[in-house]
Amino acid sequence: MRRLEPYLYTLPAVLLIASILLVPLVIGLSYAFRDITLLDPRSGSFIGLEHFRDLLTDSGFWGALRNTLTWTFASVVLQVGLGLALALLLNREFPGRGLIRLGVFLPWAVPSFLCGLDWAWLFNPVIGPLPDWFHSIGLMQRPENLLSDPQHALWGPIIANVWWGIPFFAITLLAALQSIPRDIYEAAVMDGAGAWVRFRRITLPFLAPTIAITVLLRTVWIANFADLIVVMTRGGPADTTQTLASYIFTQAFQRLDFGYASAVAAALLILLLAYALCVLALRRTFAVRS
Amino acid sequence: MIPRRCLLLAAACLLLTARLYADTDLKLVEVLTSPERTETLKSLVAAFERRNPGTHVEIISLAWSTAFEKLATMVAAGDAPDVVEMPDRWVSLYADNGMLESLEPYLAGWSETRQLTPRTLEVARAVDHTAWLLPYGLYLRALFYNKVLFRRAGIAGPPATLDELRADAKRISALPGKSGYCLRGGPGGLNAWIIFGAAMVGNNVFFRPDGTSTLTDADWVRGTTWVVELYREGLAPRDSVNWGFNEVVAGFYSGTCAMMDQDPDALIAVAGRMKPEQFGIAPMPKGPAGKAFPTLGYVGWSIFRRSLYRELDWKLIQALDGPEANRIWNQRVGALPIYQSAQNDPLYSSAQFQGWFAELSDPGEVPTVMPTYLPGFAYFADSLVVRTSQQALLGQLSPAEMNRQWATYLNKARRKLASRKH
Amino acid sequence: MPPRPMHHLRNLRALGWLLHYAALGGFLLFALFPLFWLLKVSVTPNDLLFNEGVRLWPSHASLEHYVSVLRHSQFPLFFRNSLIVSGVTAVLTSLVASAAGYAFSRFTFRGKAWLVGLMLVTQMFPLVMIVAPIFRLLTPLGLTNSLTGLVVVYTAFNVPFASFLMQSFFEGIPRELEEAAWIDGATRLQGLRRIILPLTLPGLAATLGFVFTAAWSELLFALMLNSSAAVSTFPVGLLGFVSKFSVDFGQMMAAGVLALLPVCAFFLLVQRYLVQGLTAGAVKG
Repeated sequence: MRRLEPYLYTLPAVLLIASILLVPLVIGLSYAFRDITLLDPRSGSFIGLEHFRDLLTDSGFWGALRNTLTWTFASVVLQVGLGLALALLLNREFPGRGLIRLGVFLPWAVPSFLCGLDWAWLFNPVIGPLPDWFHSIGLMQRPENLLSDPQHALWGPIIANVWWGIPFFAITLLAALQSIPRDIYEAAVMDGAGAWVRFRRITLPFLAPTIAITVLLRTVWIANFADLIVVMTRGGPADTTQTLASYIFTQAFQRLDFGYASAVAAALLILLLAYALCVLALRRTFAVRS
Repeated sequence: MIPRRCLLLAAACLLLTARLYADTDLKLVEVLTSPERTETLKSLVAAFERRNPGTHVEIISLAWSTAFEKLATMVAAGDAPDVVEMPDRWVSLYADNGMLESLEPYLAGWSETRQLTPRTLEVARAVDHTAWLLPYGLYLRALFYNKVLFRRAGIAGPPATLDELRADAKRISALPGKSGYCLRGGPGGLNAWIIFGAAMVGNNVFFRPDGTSTLTDADWVRGTTWVVELYREGLAPRDSVNWGFNEVVAGFYSGTCAMMDQDPDALIAVAGRMKPEQFGIAPMPKGPAGKAFPTLGYVGWSIFRRSLYRELDWKLIQALDGPEANRIWNQRVGALPIYQSAQNDPLYSSAQFQGWFAELSDPGEVPTVMPTYLPGFAYFADSLVVRTSQQALLGQLSPAEMNRQWATYLNKARRKLASRKH
Repeated sequence: MPPRPMHHLRNLRALGWLLHYAALGGFLLFALFPLFWLLKVSVTPNDLLFNEGVRLWPSHASLEHYVSVLRHSQFPLFFRNSLIVSGVTAVLTSLVASAAGYAFSRFTFRGKAWLVGLMLVTQMFPLVMIVAPIFRLLTPLGLTNSLTGLVVVYTAFNVPFASFLMQSFFEGIPRELEEAAWIDGATRLQGLRRIILPLTLPGLAATLGFVFTAAWSELLFALMLNSSAAVSTFPVGLLGFVSKFSVDFGQMMAAGVLALLPVCAFFLLVQRYLVQGLTAGAVKG
């Protein structure tokens, strides 16, 4: 009975995940090896690695891959950095903390679709304030729509994503910060350790497991996140904001080519798996050290 | 004396059929959903339910922005509706995959069929020469122009030729903060490219006799170059490279740009926000050959072959699309009528609609149906064209190269279609 | 160490607090301005929407959009559906994830690494690709076009992340506390309930908050799995404001503002437990 305990605790989770996520995942992945066009009853034949061969010569795929790297890296770095800063700021007692906390966590409550629309409006020179402000502080020569500029359009969704995602990191890191026993800090203060030393020697190591896992999960999640891009720029202008996630959406739901879309998704999956393995290896070294 | 067993059997049969009769549930899906229009649809459906007791129609209203993928997912998973609102661009997709019921036998037996305008029947049969849908309205592009901005720039009336359009756009773009043309550089912009391209060429022939696309011809390249230059000379707002339907219409009624090419249904949005004396409708400007080729679209009702109640579905379509119902419907939708008698309807006598009827009666205006019968046309129009046209507008791709890419895709589609026939 | 002069310390501390508040103010502004804009558009009448686009507040504010949304649309229904789905998902997910997170933290067992790995992998595949298979899976079970189906799917989506979250929080609690309870004669479950659970309240609060919000804002599956209005959630309802003819921004933003209210309320509730957790920690110290 004792030996079965862990399995009992994990059983509900396993059942749910296996049935709702794993089985469809395998089916979805299998599409990558077949010629599946939605609605076409004649499609469905097995074609092996043909989709993957097409992938290698598809400039749309490589462009989307480059954009995905920019999109994911910029979003994660900004979200983690700003989220950590916010969590540290909120970790102290001060009057009005509850209300301020509520205020800075609100962006997370906005559905991604609405967030995209809201920011698209903010960037629009006719109906939003940002182009005028950018112009007055010298970032733009004329008040223009950032989202129509092929060079910098990707920053629009990135900014919206950062706005939306900071609360996530702030909440998780804040909760983790508050789980750190106070007496360790008190002992350190009594030993004469300054704020920076306390941060480096106590806070960071305690936060490291949480940071590692949340960064890993959020990176994966952001790489797969197409909503903001689809709503704000639809991948344009001229595919300059197309990421792999939005590219998959286009192939699957505009071209109805589920086979090719699945192949792109499989490629993304492989990349993310490689990334995950690296992060986990890093986490293990950290855990060993502390 | 009737044996008891027979009576019981008869009673059971009656009960069974009564139950079946009472349980007829039809699923109707609308895709160009808007709250006001849904109300009209509900009242037409209610009238149908009253006339056919025991029938219940469930109306499913899909949001237009995601309707294509939602309907495709539903149908692919086996959850197909009985009657569906079918836009022209989707017909070939569902018809080619054998999912739609041919309406020819139903039309043959219907008294109102001869009341339909010849053009209506022609577009209904665009795919495979079979009527896969009964259109409820025709959408013809016309030129919307902002009278206020025209007056400010000192222009007397709408442009009649492409050169005049260019000149007018230039004068209006000289006004601070204004642009001449509301270009649709984003999704759905293909129509404008075709309209202006065909006007330059002087004909709307998409394929040569040997089946290859005409888009690579020098005249077509001149046509697309004309559009690109409109943008690059600043005669359209810089943003417009990414504009879709909503942005174009909003740009027009907010007074940001002075001209746009649109269908009659945009009239509802514009008329709700601009006063009648502030804007006008004119036929599309003609090209060097003295002709214009406004695109003609259509939307209608289709029956899915998998439906269990196809006769009843046809009755529902009659209730939605018969002469009287169509009149009520088009008051809400604003499309051009499918019945010959409707031309005299007071709805179409407004000054704005006169623009369309002028267009229809002008022999120099040749309504052009897009090759929506080609497989993969929806992807062509919504994805390939958007990407390449944006690249061309931004100067990253030459118009000649863009035309070549379009032609390559269309040739492939045409060959696929031909191979399917065999 | 020689004591520092008192006024030096006080000045430094004052400066520290000033910077602290200034930084917080910056974050608050960044977070709230777009929401303020939502609010501004929601009270702008349609005819002023484009003419006065750039102003910070319309010259003529009106509540007409809120009236339309509440009285003439199906929003109250969508709201109710969202509340039900999000609430049940949050509770269910927290339960399942706490159990799994506890197991990951406290036990080493065969297959643990595989399980963790599998959970990670399920998060890596774009959800777009599994819409069709899930639809096919749920149809024979009668779970399509239902709120129950959504709850099941959302729970499955959120369990992996929630489990990892709970695992992190459990790992922050020293095993000695539990072992002390066992020595005193408590069973594992009793130890969990009496000692561990109160300490993980911040984590539980965070998990509930996340899952509720994630379920509240989810669009793709709510759109694809459910068709009738009776079981549509409010993100799907928001889409309805984008018709072919226009985008009804005023009403959409009004609905968006209204939709923020339950999440605000939920956060407020959850915050209380965060504070409680802190107090408990202080007492323990």
